[in-house]
Amino acid sequence: MSELDIRSNRKWPMPKQAVPGAPLLEVEDLSVRFAMRNGSVKAVDGVSFRLNDGEALGIAGESGCGKTTTALSLVRLLPANGRIRSGSVKLFGIDLVPKTEKQLARYRWREISMVFQGAMNALNPVQRVGDQIAEPIEVRLGASRAASQKRAAELLDLVGIPKQRAMAYPHQLSGGMRQRAMIAMALACDPAIVIGDEPTTALDVMVQAQILQLLEQLRRDLGLSLILITHDLSVIAETCDRVMVMYAGRVAEEGPARRVFTAPRHPYTRKLLLAFPNIHADRRTLDVIPGQPPDLRNPPPGCRFAPRCAEAMDVCREVVPPEVRFADGVRVACHLFPVSDAVAGEVPA
Amino acid sequence: MSARYLVRKLLGACLTILAIVILNFFLFRMMPGSPERVLMRSPVITAEAKAAARARWGLDKPLIPDQLVAYVESTFTGDLGYSFKFRGKPVTDVLLGRLWPTVILIGLAEFFAIIFGLLLGAYAGWRRGSKLDKAGNGFGLVLYSMPYFVIGMPLIIIFAAGLGWFPTSGASTAGATFESGLAQLLDFGRHLALPLITVTLGLIGGYSILMRSSIIETRAEDYITTARAKGLTDGRVMRHHAFPNALLPMVTLIAINLGYVVGGAITAEVVFNWPGIGTLTVDALSARDYPLLQGVFLLLSVCVVLANLVADLIYGFLDPRVHA
Amino acid sequence: MSAATTDPAGVNGPAGPAPVVIHRQRFRGLRESLGRFSTRTDGLVGLGILLVFAVLAIAPALFVGPLETVVTATGGVLEPPSMAHVFGTDEMGRDMLNLTVHGARISMIIGLLATVITVAVGALVGIVAGYSGGRLDNALMRVTDFFLVLPTFVLAIILAPILLDIIGPEAELFGIRATLLVIVLVIGLTSWATTARVIRSQVLSIKERMFVDRARVIGSGSGRIMRVHILPNVVNLIIAQAVLTFAFAVFVETTLAFIGLGDPFAPSWGQVLNAAQSAGAPGLGAWWYIVPPAACVVLVVLAFTLLGNALDDILNPKSGSRR
Repeated sequence: MSELDIRSNRKWPMPKQAVPGAPLLEVEDLSVRFAMRNGSVKAVDGVSFRLNDGEALGIAGESGCGKTTTALSLVRLLPANGRIRSGSVKLFGIDLVPKTEKQLARYRWREISMVFQGAMNALNPVQRVGDQIAEPIEVRLGASRAASQKRAAELLDLVGIPKQRAMAYPHQLSGGMRQRAMIAMALACDPAIVIGDEPTTALDVMVQAQILQLLEQLRRDLGLSLILITHDLSVIAETCDRVMVMYAGRVAEEGPARRVFTAPRHPYTRKLLLAFPNIHADRRTLDVIPGQPPDLRNPPPGCRFAPRCAEAMDVCREVVPPEVRFADGVRVACHLFPVSDAVAGEVPA
Repeated sequence: MSARYLVRKLLGACLTILAIVILNFFLFRMMPGSPERVLMRSPVITAEAKAAARARWGLDKPLIPDQLVAYVESTFTGDLGYSFKFRGKPVTDVLLGRLWPTVILIGLAEFFAIIFGLLLGAYAGWRRGSKLDKAGNGFGLVLYSMPYFVIGMPLIIIFAAGLGWFPTSGASTAGATFESGLAQLLDFGRHLALPLITVTLGLIGGYSILMRSSIIETRAEDYITTARAKGLTDGRVMRHHAFPNALLPMVTLIAINLGYVVGGAITAEVVFNWPGIGTLTVDALSARDYPLLQGVFLLLSVCVVLANLVADLIYGFLDPRVHA
Repeated sequence: MSAATTDPAGVNGPAGPAPVVIHRQRFRGLRESLGRFSTRTDGLVGLGILLVFAVLAIAPALFVGPLETVVTATGGVLEPPSMAHVFGTDEMGRDMLNLTVHGARISMIIGLLATVITVAVGALVGIVAGYSGGRLDNALMRVTDFFLVLPTFVLAIILAPILLDIIGPEAELFGIRATLLVIVLVIGLTSWATTARVIRSQVLSIKERMFVDRARVIGSGSGRIMRVHILPNVVNLIIAQAVLTFAFAVFVETTLAFIGLGDPFAPSWGQVLNAAQSAGAPGLGAWWYIVPPAACVVLVVLAFTLLGNALDDILNPKSGSRR
């Protein structure tokens, strides 16, 4: 489906403030801080990316790199001590950052919805599953109780859960079914973007595959755009068009998934890929990245990966590496790739 | 909730009550020379009652097992002995006569305290750190630190002695006659007002603090983030998602508390000379009326055990997660 | 690890293995705990209030002279506050300020002694039950749960005259008369159960961690293990519990005295309020008789509660804020 197709096939009209021709989602220079007892944590620092209609973007990185914080800050779901310090989040060209809580609420779930990790904790334990799915339809879209229950049943059907299970409580469903229920819930208001935060991490491999298959199928059938957050690169490789690798609150590398996985440029990306065992390769010991991610209360000046990077140069420890764009669509932030290289578009071996 | 759960809890309750009856038996007899010495010391008891008590207690038989068994048996058939202070009147009768004023006072107070305490705690905890929270929490903590009589005495000074809006003590105006049932009811109401406010305030303190904690914990749960992500208003998130979940642990706490309150409100009754179990207990204490004291102890212990049982059953019923 | 490295301060004798590694964390934790405590306004306020009352309790005569008795009363009957008597007088003409300040000493001492008993018994039961496990643990917990169910206030009311009869009304210990001794005993006997439960669950989690270093404690007797290894790691929690128990003890003592179990010759705040009630002070509007002791009780209980909550948050690893 092309961009134009998706937008004209939308179930609901575009938001009034939408800028015609603007990309679906454009995040520019986003910075998020957490105020802690002994300093502020710069969890996300100058992150930019774009999501187009019908695209699936994967955000990868180890725990604590800021990927979940980035996603939560798109709809301002941060905990009380978190704040967006700077940057813009433009949905259809509308900047969400300066909006008040009340104005922003209008976009939540109707344009951007989320599927959380660990559905057992993310679902209200004392409310029936069907009611939880029907709730946004009734409250946000103003449908009648009967109509929203009916729609909820349809959604359950769509994700492969028998309709009778709508009367069940979350603890009565298996892990896989709960995750499907969360997906059904996320689709309730026919959003433009669905963000999945580690949607398959808590599941076993077989169920994981089913869920990914479901997401892929829904994406095609409904013309959804997807942001998938996970530390599991294989998941991204399977489902995403583009991937963004984050480290310590910054973007290391971003581009078409195929390009990034077959020809990684950033040293961190390379190490990350090497850390995954390859069934076809010869036996060897797993490559481990020595050291720990930096303490984000006092991150190192310059490149945040420099302390652990085998190829770090002096400039890396002092100057923040600028982002460089290559012809094959990949962005890298690393001093190994100075701006001048970008023109050539060649990949070092 | 399975039948096995129910039976297990019922059995536990019965065993505990039995243990309390046995404890009651030994308490009295811990005193040197008891019960002969204590029984005979009291001058007000009639000869017939003395003989009946002697027979009941089986004082000419060995302590264990004969006396113990006799005691347990008679207790379970409703014979709690004879009061010294009330000249041999059966303890059961004395207790029943003073029961309803306490039940009315405590029952109404719990009703109001639960409603206001839970609401106050919920709103304070939801807006943690705000002025409402600091005020509400502070208010709750201060009330929690005040024994009932410390709340009651100033209320009497201000509203009864000072402003004269309410009488200073008792449950009815002494020696008054009333034209209608309504007038009598109003008189009772005027007497009930201050004790009721006192006990209610005392209870609100504890409930609001507990509910506040519960809602603060609930607020940190993931499904609250989901609810916010759905774009629901803050009020709706609190009312539909946080409050019901925060209420669950409170239900058992309230049920258990109900058991203790009956005994705890003794000082409130004393301050207002309210003719209930509380003042009865204090009078029995000063008269060293042991049978009556034991009767009160048994009554209140049974209340607590029953309250705990009800709490367990309610929780098993309310929480869909309990398979037991 | 040799004894030298784990026991640099030489706090343990030459006999037996030095305590397990957890011990060292305690000393590091102390500095950190003090730091965290300094940020808690509620705990600091509580501590401040308590220090004031502690000073008053230690030497009341320094501030207001000796305790006024019926014989040495200085004022008229039920006089409202005036320049001569800042808090007015009671129905015997005694100065209320005098009574209130001396009441601090008595209320606090009774509270302290009751707390000592409660925490000693509770900690002992908790540690033995938690460490022993199995049948002994089950048995002890049955007893503990039984005590938790009992309406302790009413039990206290019954026990008091019984105990008084047993020890005899003339008995005296360290200058404390029988009636007050009985109150101390009664509070201790009825309140230890909560402490026992809390300490036991902490001991259970320590037991888990100890298995890692099991090798070091093989050969030590149970009593020694409990004393030398477990106790130091539970001390923090015991302190927090003790403070909260103190609040409860003062609360209960005041209530028991109000009911008539106090000692008219050693008037605690509760006893003063009892006298006030008997004299009909509320009905007469004699607020000065009631407000000073009542306010003191509330302040002290509140202060202990604030302090205890702050300590519990900081020292109890099970408590939420520690995350």
